[in-house]
Amino acid sequence: MKTFSVIAGREMRLALRNRSILISAAIFAIWFPVMSAFGVAAGARGDAATIAGGIAAITLPVGVFMGYIFCADAFLREKRDGTIETLLCTPVSLRRLWEGKAIGVAVPAYVMALISATVTIAAITAITGITVVTEPLLLLHLAAIVPVWIIASTGLIGAAQLALGMRENQILGFLLIFGFIFIILGLQEIVPGGPGVSLVTEGILAAAGIALIAFARFIAGKVTRERIVLTIP
Amino acid sequence: MNAVEVRGLSRSFDGRNILNDVSFTVGHGEVFGYLGPNGAGKTTTIRILLGLLTPGAGEVRVLGRDLAADDDARAKVGVLFENNGLSDRMSATANLTYYAGLYGVDEPAERIDDLLTLVGLADRRDDLIGTYSTGMKRRLGIARAILHRPEIVFLDEPSSGLDPGAQRMVRDLIVELSRREEMTVFLNSHHLDEVQRICSSVAILAGGRIRAFDSVANLTGARDRPAVTVTLADPGDRAGASRVIEALPFVAGCDPDGEGIHCTLSDPGATPDLIAALVDAGLRIEEVRRSSRSLEEIYIEHVGSAGGGV
Repeated sequence: MKTFSVIAGREMRLALRNRSILISAAIFAIWFPVMSAFGVAAGARGDAATIAGGIAAITLPVGVFMGYIFCADAFLREKRDGTIETLLCTPVSLRRLWEGKAIGVAVPAYVMALISATVTIAAITAITGITVVTEPLLLLHLAAIVPVWIIASTGLIGAAQLALGMRENQILGFLLIFGFIFIILGLQEIVPGGPGVSLVTEGILAAAGIALIAFARFIAGKVTRERIVLTIP
Repeated sequence: MNAVEVRGLSRSFDGRNILNDVSFTVGHGEVFGYLGPNGAGKTTTIRILLGLLTPGAGEVRVLGRDLAADDDARAKVGVLFENNGLSDRMSATANLTYYAGLYGVDEPAERIDDLLTLVGLADRRDDLIGTYSTGMKRRLGIARAILHRPEIVFLDEPSSGLDPGAQRMVRDLIVELSRREEMTVFLNSHHLDEVQRICSSVAILAGGRIRAFDSVANLTGARDRPAVTVTLADPGDRAGASRVIEALPFVAGCDPDGEGIHCTLSDPGATPDLIAALVDAGLRIEEVRRSSRSLEEIYIEHVGSAGGGV
């Protein structure tokens, strides 16, 4: 457990020191929700529950995308610099290394997602005059569903980045991120009651997120030291 | 039990044999030099020993353990690859503290202080590694590699890319470490001069095979077949002197070479008898100098001047 916190703590500190990634993440976290806020406000026609659903629908893909941005620094950069080889020679298991890194980058990604949600709520409140921060399901969504999906994305993308070469990673990174967003939008569309926050929607999203984390753990378990070393550029 | 045991190791990539039936051992406390041209398979061997790659055939053990299967065993092993394993965006202290956490080092602050002083970076401890020179990074990399007091440390081309001053500093540091920390050093290098100065034994790898494996003293002939170069006061006496030398029973070879006569002796203690025989023959001696073959000569003999990459 100690090595897990050492690895995760280091990834968080490095994420906070990477100015270029922080700027990219901040721009996306603010620009995307502000632009979407007008659409949500126009479509909701004053209904607080629909607005809360719109905010939830925006925040989840933003969080997943934040996970993707921070993963590049924790997994891909370590591989490109070759420092991953030294880490693989420490007495830390590969699974523990993956877990520490995935959670370490999930934390700043979650913080960015919360900033994004705050900006979205502020923008919609400013446009519609309706306050939605007291919607319990929206709070549940932000407190539980968003972090589960961010962990699923950092875990899966991280495992893929460890296992694949640089060129394959460029392609697969985009495929994974669009895959995630497609799944999120698809789930929100197919659940009874349509898009929005409801117990059913949140339950399905929670179950799908946990299933994706389990899948990411399974994939990470298949990655070997040899595979990582042979794909170092 | 040896610190490193390699038996019948083979490995190929994409149908190309990189290592072919490689065997050698490294004793505890030795400074071992693993030599070979670029592409000979040195780094592949180290990666297999460290459990980063699997052997195609054969068996490897480090401190009697298989590092690929045994996470805990890696706590007794230090490693320095070309990139030093350091994050440019962290300070020296932060980098070492991170690795101290991974290895579970007791009283890390004290150990880090000690090592930063040893490698001469105590006054730059809080600077980002990105501001360090290549030589400073390498010294810090060595400190990182031995932070957890390993029993054996693998150094992959530690002098690569360094200027002569920094190379010497790193070389002195390796000798100091071996002496002070009493650890086995596995040095992967193609700096022959460096290896000859600091290593007790070497293996030469070329074309995926071990071409020579012995102590440096044995390989260069300094122990079993010492050589001397005799310079005569009158170079015109060389032919006569050569006949006298060749007739001596303890002389294995005689080669008039430039101004002197190069003699290989079968008896390490026969130099005074050689001098006496020449004086008895009425020859005037200017100088008698012990000479041995350099590791470079041995290397070229086994590898060839064109190199022996796979």
